[in-house]
Amino acid sequence: MTVIGTNTARIDGPAKVSGKQLYSSDIILPNMMYAVTLRSPYPHAEILSIDTSAAEAMGAVCLTYEDICVYEKGSASVVTGPCSRQNEQAVPAMYNERSVSVPNATYRDRTILPRKARHMYEPIAAVAADTEELAYKAMKALKVEYKVLDAVYDPLEAMKDGAPQLYDKIYLGDKEVEIKNNIGVIRKIDEGNCDEGFARADRIFEDDFELPRIYHAQLEPKGCTAAPDAEGGITVWATAQSIHGNRQLLGRALNMPLSKINVKKITIGGAFGSSIQVNTVTPICAALALKAKRPVKLLSSREDDFYSHQKYPAKFHVKLGVSNDGILTAAHVTALIDFGAHQIQPLAFMGCTAGWFASLYKYSGNIRFDGTAVYTNKTPCCAMQGYGNPQINFAIESMVDIICEDMGFDAIDFRLKNYRGVGQEFWGQGPTIRSIIKSCGVEESLIKGREIMDWDKRGKWQDKSGDIRHGLGLARGFHTSGTAGPKEGEVIDYSSAFIKINEDGSVDVVTPVVDHGGGTWDAIAKITSEVLQVPLNMVGLSPADTKNTGYDVCTHATRGVYCGGAAVYHVATVVKEKLLAMAGRMMDEHPYQLELIRDDELGQGVIYAKGYHQKKMTVGEVAKLAQINSWGTIQYADSYRQKNCPPCFTTHFVEVDVNIRTGEITSPRVLIYGDCGTAVNPDLLYGQLIGSFNRGLGYTLYEDLPFDEQSGELKNKGMLVDYKMPTSWEMPMVKNVIVRHADTFEPSGPFGAKGIGEAALASVQAAVTNAIYNAVGIRFHKLPVTPEKMLKALKDGVKEVY
Amino acid sequence: MTKHEITLKVNGKLHELKVEPNELLLNVLREKLCLTGSKYGCGIAECGACTILVGGKSYMSCLVPAISADGWDITTVEGLADGDKLNPVQQAFVDNSAIQCGFCVPGMVVTSTALLLDNPAPDEEYIKDYLRGNYCRCTGYVAMVKSVMDAAAKMKCDQ
Amino acid sequence: MVNTRILDAEFGYLAPTALDEALDILNSKNKVKVLAGGTDLIVHIKVGAEVEMDYMLDIKRIEELDYVQLREHCCDLDEVCCIGANAKLSRIEKEAVIVERYPALAKALSLMASISVRNMGTMAGNICNASPVADSVIPAICYGARIKLKSADGERVLPLEDFFVAPGVSVIKPNELLTNIALPKPKPHTGASFIKKTRVRPDVAKISVGVVIERDGDKVANCRIAMGAIAATPAYLKSIGDSIVGKTMSEQLIKETAAAAARTIKPIDDNRTTAEYRTAIAEILTADALAEAWKNAGGEL
Repeated sequence: MTVIGTNTARIDGPAKVSGKQLYSSDIILPNMMYAVTLRSPYPHAEILSIDTSAAEAMGAVCLTYEDICVYEKGSASVVTGPCSRQNEQAVPAMYNERSVSVPNATYRDRTILPRKARHMYEPIAAVAADTEELAYKAMKALKVEYKVLDAVYDPLEAMKDGAPQLYDKIYLGDKEVEIKNNIGVIRKIDEGNCDEGFARADRIFEDDFELPRIYHAQLEPKGCTAAPDAEGGITVWATAQSIHGNRQLLGRALNMPLSKINVKKITIGGAFGSSIQVNTVTPICAALALKAKRPVKLLSSREDDFYSHQKYPAKFHVKLGVSNDGILTAAHVTALIDFGAHQIQPLAFMGCTAGWFASLYKYSGNIRFDGTAVYTNKTPCCAMQGYGNPQINFAIESMVDIICEDMGFDAIDFRLKNYRGVGQEFWGQGPTIRSIIKSCGVEESLIKGREIMDWDKRGKWQDKSGDIRHGLGLARGFHTSGTAGPKEGEVIDYSSAFIKINEDGSVDVVTPVVDHGGGTWDAIAKITSEVLQVPLNMVGLSPADTKNTGYDVCTHATRGVYCGGAAVYHVATVVKEKLLAMAGRMMDEHPYQLELIRDDELGQGVIYAKGYHQKKMTVGEVAKLAQINSWGTIQYADSYRQKNCPPCFTTHFVEVDVNIRTGEITSPRVLIYGDCGTAVNPDLLYGQLIGSFNRGLGYTLYEDLPFDEQSGELKNKGMLVDYKMPTSWEMPMVKNVIVRHADTFEPSGPFGAKGIGEAALASVQAAVTNAIYNAVGIRFHKLPVTPEKMLKALKDGVKEVY
Repeated sequence: MTKHEITLKVNGKLHELKVEPNELLLNVLREKLCLTGSKYGCGIAECGACTILVGGKSYMSCLVPAISADGWDITTVEGLADGDKLNPVQQAFVDNSAIQCGFCVPGMVVTSTALLLDNPAPDEEYIKDYLRGNYCRCTGYVAMVKSVMDAAAKMKCDQ
Repeated sequence: MVNTRILDAEFGYLAPTALDEALDILNSKNKVKVLAGGTDLIVHIKVGAEVEMDYMLDIKRIEELDYVQLREHCCDLDEVCCIGANAKLSRIEKEAVIVERYPALAKALSLMASISVRNMGTMAGNICNASPVADSVIPAICYGARIKLKSADGERVLPLEDFFVAPGVSVIKPNELLTNIALPKPKPHTGASFIKKTRVRPDVAKISVGVVIERDGDKVANCRIAMGAIAATPAYLKSIGDSIVGKTMSEQLIKETAAAAARTIKPIDDNRTTAEYRTAIAEILTADALAEAWKNAGGEL
C-alpha cells in the first residue's frame, strides 16, 4: 500500500491536542524581558522627539528611531555607528519586509522604527522590562513630541493634487523613485489585440465590483522571542512563513553577518499570507534584545495585530466582449488598490491579479490590465490567501453569470467553452512567471457537479416564492502551485532539503519549509517515506533553522507540497541512489538489479535482488554496515527549483437560503470540488477545502474593516468583538458539506501532486453571490452582502447593488 | 500594589504563588507555571483560545484575575490526557485530522471535553452551538464537530 | 492605546465571604468595583473604558448569594423565583424552574455569548452592566422582574425596568449591591417569547424583542413587551403592551401592534447594524414574538 494518497494521522496531532506544540509566544528563557510597543495615536504625524528617561528610570530598556544603528547612505553603502540626528546624511536601512520578489522588482519604503507615523497605531517605539505590565507602564511614560499631519483615507482623494503626501521618495531595488500624488505603483499589461477583440464581439458587458479590506484573523497574533548570545549573535523565534526571509532582513536591518543570526523554524498559529513578510514586531524585538543584552519576548495584542496587516481591498471595472456563440473575445480589467501606508509589494500583487484574471478564460488571447495602487493612511495590506485571486475571481465569475443570464447561455457550458485548460498557458505569478497547463480537473468538476447538485433543477429566481428563497450558484477558480516557470522571472522560487539514513534504517529530514497548518510537513514526511520506502513513523522531521538548512523562499503561493515537497523528492531520490549503490557493493549486485520495498512489520525498507527475493538486506543493515566499514553516512543535501507553476483548480456549487423578511442569508449545503493532482493526504486536503469555504463565507457575508475617517482608527478598534467571522454554528451540517477531488495527475509534481491551499478560497465568493442572484434576482457587486444590504435592496426593489 | 499569596490546583498539582491583583490567570499559567498550552488569542473572551476547566466547567482565563482564582481546581489542556493516553476528544481530533495550525486546538479540545461532561450524548446541532465561542480560522469546524460526535460515540461504547 | 494581553490597572483586592462584609466595604471605601464573573468589568478595563477603581470587590466567595430558588415571599411579591447575585448564567438557564416557568428567559440566556462566558458571568452582572442590549434583561422585564439593592443602610426594591438610566448608567448607588432578582409566578394561560438577531450566533443583539402575554380566552388579559438595542436603555414598551389589553387577538391586531411598536423606537447606527435595519425588523420581530407568545399561551391565530 502506498503512503501517498492514504489518510494518515497528522504527525503533529498529539502535540497539538495536548498543548505541547510550541509557538514563538511559548518560548520562555532565563532572564527574559517582556516588551510592548508604543503605537502612534495619530494616523499621520512626524515624530520630533521621544524622551525615554522616565521609562528608563523604571528599569525599562527603550528602543526608538535613534537606536536603529544601521544606516545606509543612499541605498547601497552601509554605515554603522551612532544613529543620532548628527549623522544627517545617513538614512536608516530601508527595506520591504516581503522578500520573495527579486530586488529589482521590490519597492522599499520602511525602517525598523519610523521618523514619521503613516497609519494609526503604527509602532514608533518599544519598551522592555521584567514584566509585561511594567513594560506597558514604562511605555506610557515615554514622552513623544509629534507634528500632526493631515491624513488621507480614500484612494481617489489621495491621488488628487494637494492631498497629504505619505512619501516623497522610496526605492525600487537600488533606484530612487519619486512618489507623486501617493501613487505607489502603476502596472499595465496588454496582450493580443483588445481593440480588435472588442470590435469582433457581438455584445460587450461592462461592470464594477468592489471587495472590502478584511483581516487575516489568524488565531496567533504575531510574536517574537529573541535571545542575544555571548558571541554577538542572536537567535530568533518568530511567527514566520520564511525563516530565511526573516534572517536576511534582520541581517540587512541590523547590519549583522548572516552567520550571526539564527532564525528557528517553529510552528505558526495560522497566517494566511500575513507572515510571508517579516512581521513588524520581529526586527523591533531583535533590536531591543541586542540593546538590552537579554532575551526579549515581544507579543502583539490582538489589537496590535489588527493594525499590522490586512487583506488588499480592490475596486475593479471589468469589460468583456462576447460573441453570439458564447466565446469571450476580449477582456479589460481596470483595478484600483488602496494598499495603505507601506508597500508590502502591491507591484507583485497587481501582477498576480492580472495573471489570475488572464488565466481564468481564454478571451481569444486579448487581455488588457490597468492597475493603480495608492498609498493611504491606513494599515498596510499584504497577501491573504490568494493574492488578488479571490478579489478578481469574484469580479470575473460574477460577470460570467451576468453574461450567461443575459444571453441565455448555460453557466456550465459557457465555462467549459472558455476556460483555460491543458495545453494552454497559465500565469503562476504575474506576467513573468508562466507555464503550460498539464493537468486539469475543471471539466470533471463541472460535469459531475452538475449531477451531484441537480444544477438543471435549480430554477429561476422569478419562479421562487415563500419567506425563504433558496438559490444555487456556482463559480470556478484556481491558484498556482508555486512561483516557478521554465524561465526565471520577478519572483524567487527554490527550496532545499537534507536527508540522511540512520544506522537503524530510520530517516531524518531537515527542511527549512514552514507549515501553516495545512499539512506541508506531513506531505514532506510522506514523500520521503514513499521514495525511500521507509515506514512513515520512521521518518523524523528534524528541528531546523537558518544555520542548518539551505534557502527556501517561503511557504506562500501554494508551493509547500509542489515546490518544498519536490526538493525533498529530489534529495530523497539521490539518497535512494546512494543507498542502492552502497547495497550493491555489499550484495555484489548492480544497483539497477536491486529494488527497495517497504516492510511495515520490520519497520523499515528492504533491498532485494530483483527476481530473487531471497537475496536481501534491510536498509538498516546497509546503513549500519556502511558505518562499521567506515564507508560513510548515506545522505544528501541540495537545493531544487521547480520549472512549472501548475494551477490547482476548484469549483464551488453553493446553496443559499435568503430570508426575505429579515435579509438574512445562510448556506445550508455546498459541493466543493478540488483538483490538487494526487491528494497526498485526502483528509488534510478536505480540511483545506472546508476551512476555505468557511473563510469564504466570512468574506462574502460578514467581514469588513471600515475606518473612522475622523480619527483614522478602525471602527472595531482592533477588537474581535466587532469583527465577526462565521463560527461552527454558521457552517452547514456535516453531511451537507460535500467534498470531492478530481482524478488528475500532475506530471511535474512529486507523485503527481500540485497545491490546493489558496485555490480553495478563490471561487467561494462568486459562487455565493451567484446563488443569491438565483434565489432573489439581486446582483451584489460589492462584498460583504449583509442582511442590512439585502433587506434594503429587497425593500427598494433594486436589482443591482454596488 | 501588594502581592497576595494564592494557591492554585492545576492539573492535580498544588501551586503556591505570589501575585499582584492585576495579574491575569492566563498569563500566570503560561509564564509562571510554564503551562503554555492555553493561548492568548483576543484577550476579551471572544475567541476561546485560553479556555480552561474550572471544576469541570469551561472558563476563559484571559478574563480572570489570578488572585480571584485562589483555591480553584483548574484543568488546562496539558491535564486532559492520562499520561500519554489522550482523552477521547483529543484522540478523535487526531484521528479525524481536525487540526491545522493548532493554535485554537487547546481551547477547542478543552471546550469539547466540557461539552461531553455537560451532555454525553449530544446531537450535531448541540455541538455546533456549544463550540460557537471558539474561533478556528483554519478548519471550517466540520472535522471538529465530527470529532466530538465520534468521541461521544466512543465513550458510550466504552461504558 | 490599550493592551488586552494584560490588565493595566492598579487596585486593591478584597474578597469577603459574607454579604455584610461586602456591604461594609462598599459603604466605607471609595471607587469600589464589583467583580462577579468579570466578563464585563475585566473587558471594560482592557478596552480602555473609563473605570475608576481603587478597589476590586470580588463577591464570588459570598456563598449566600449563589442560589436560584422558589420563595414564598421576596421583593414585595408572593410565590417568586429568586436568583442570587452569584448565580452563574449557565446554571440559571438550566434550572428546571426557569426552563418551565420562564422559558423566554432560559432562551435568552442560552443565546448569550458563549458557554464559557455564561459559566463565568451572572445575571446580576448582566443587569448592572446596564447595557441597552442586555439579553437577560429583556425577557426579565416582560416577566415583571424586580431587583433588590442592598446597602449597609438598608435595602430597596425596584421594578427592573426602572433600574436603567443610560448606556452603562443605572440608579445603583456606590454603596449598593444588587443582591437578587425576583421573578413573579406567571399567571395561568401565560405565554412568552424572545427573539434576537445577531451578526453571527455568539454576539450581542442587533435587536432583541421579548413578549409575555396572559390570555383570557381569545382576549389579551395582559401583555408586556420589551426591546433591546433600540434605545439608550433596555426599553419596556409599556404603552404598546397595555394598548392591546382586553382586545381580541388576531393577525390584524398583531400587525397593528408591531407597527406601533416600531414607530416608538429611535435606534442608532453602530458597529453591529444600522438604525434603518433596526427599524425595519423591529416590526417583523415584534409581530413574530407576539404570535409566538400567544401560541405559547395556548391561543390560536
